[in-house]
Amino acid sequence: MDIDLKRKEIYRKIKKLLIFILVIIIILWSASGIGFSLITILSGFGEIIRFITKDMMPPDLNDIKNLIKPTIDTLLMSFSALGASIIVSLPLAFLSSSITTPNQIIKIITRGFAAVLRTIPEMVWVLILVPSYGLGVMSGTIALFFAGIGLLVRSFTEALEEIDNKPIEALKSIGANWFQIIVRGILPQFLPELLSWSLFSLDNNIRSSAIIGIVGGGGLGFLIQSDLSLFRFGQVTTIIIMMMLIFISVEIITSALRRIIL
Amino acid sequence: MNLTPANKDIYIDVKKENIVKIKLNKVIIIRWVFYIGIILFLISTYTLKFDYLRLFTGTLQFLKLIIKMFPPDASDWKSILSSMIQTFQMTWIGTFTAAIISFVISFFGARNTTPSSSIRWIARSFGALMRAIPVVVWCIIFVAAVGLGPLPGIMAIAVHSTGMLIKVFSDSIEEIDERVLEAMRSTGANILQIIIRGIIPSTFTSFMSWFLLRLDIDLRYATVLGMVGAGGIGFELIYSIRKYQMNRTLFIIICILVMLLSIEYFNNYVKRRIAKINESR
Repeated sequence: MDIDLKRKEIYRKIKKLLIFILVIIIILWSASGIGFSLITILSGFGEIIRFITKDMMPPDLNDIKNLIKPTIDTLLMSFSALGASIIVSLPLAFLSSSITTPNQIIKIITRGFAAVLRTIPEMVWVLILVPSYGLGVMSGTIALFFAGIGLLVRSFTEALEEIDNKPIEALKSIGANWFQIIVRGILPQFLPELLSWSLFSLDNNIRSSAIIGIVGGGGLGFLIQSDLSLFRFGQVTTIIIMMMLIFISVEIITSALRRIIL
Repeated sequence: MNLTPANKDIYIDVKKENIVKIKLNKVIIIRWVFYIGIILFLISTYTLKFDYLRLFTGTLQFLKLIIKMFPPDASDWKSILSSMIQTFQMTWIGTFTAAIISFVISFFGARNTTPSSSIRWIARSFGALMRAIPVVVWCIIFVAAVGLGPLPGIMAIAVHSTGMLIKVFSDSIEEIDERVLEAMRSTGANILQIIIRGIIPSTFTSFMSWFLLRLDIDLRYATVLGMVGAGGIGFELIYSIRKYQMNRTLFIIICILVMLLSIEYFNNYVKRRIAKINESR
């Protein structure tokens, strides 16, 4: 017994050591493959600190009026995309949750579809959408919409699967029809989860919508890109501060609301 | 309070009323969030002033584009594979650099190892600042500073990950059993000995799992960073779209999908294993 325990301990240590050695090997391979060492990176940091402290400071507040429209656009894009993706992902979630799905094949298809939408980054969506919808807020909103569907279908599905079955059984036993079961049995339990996940997705959307402009999706990112190419680095600092303010305030609001709701 | 039977009833009643009140408040808040959400959605969709004709023709064009993408063109797989490997290597180096830097800083950020609480505050807010700025924004700043290539990408990953790792590493150091450190201090161990013999062994597993988790996140970021000038698979993608080689684009997207999904699967496996190890302890 004691020997067995000791052996287990030794095995665990060897396993840890092996993982550690594997990590070191991959890092050395990566460093040689890319031709960089820690020293190159650290010297790069020196250059960057000079750039940030000299060129980007102080923040340029002269053109702060130009920031208002992109900031509002960023927020509007997130709201609009969120609403549209909730509308689309609700029926999809009902199709993909194992309690409410009409059949197994549909469930697998919708889940796979959501996984693909979720895994492709928003920026890639924007790149694919820009040739068809043109530069600007429309491509950005649709990209957020796709990524949002991926996220929401999964979380709504999980929420639906955790629903307490008893009220539904009770409703069924008194002869309620499908519509009544959904409205009276599922929605009261599901609505708080729906709102909480939607707020989470809103937070996510705002973070993404601030940056998708860099590849042509409108909003604050677009402004950063154009200011950088015009060497107006002070203005870039202002935009970044603006972004951080938006992120922090949205995060505070959404997390407070989520805590109340759940 | 003395609970005589008569008192008890009142007590319970008050409690019930409170619970009902709290529930009522919650329902009202949920309802309001719901209504405000709908209003905000309508207002923002209206204010954005989409050109709905454009939306319609664009959708047709988009569907045509999707059809045109098939079948995926894998003829250029060699250069795509090598750029995927580059993305992978960028991720590892960036995350590893971040792990080393935040390993050092986390000792200043943890309550039980920091020399003073103001230094702890500085270390923590340094980390918060780094992770508040999105990784893509770091990357375009770095591209402006040091030029195109993998270097700005690696550094963007390193900076953003440092922000997160400082927080989680400091938290795991703070979770160490204080008695272990106290025992070592009482035997007269110096700070270096305490770190090597006391802190590293007891935080190794949690550091390692955070490192692996962060690798997953960073691989996601690294595919995107290529699009803003950091090389790797993202650069291949943007190049291929700009040249309108749609079949090649689809192949690259499939490659990205496979890479990210398999990493996600692997990471879930690791997480489950770690949970199991923690349970068996």
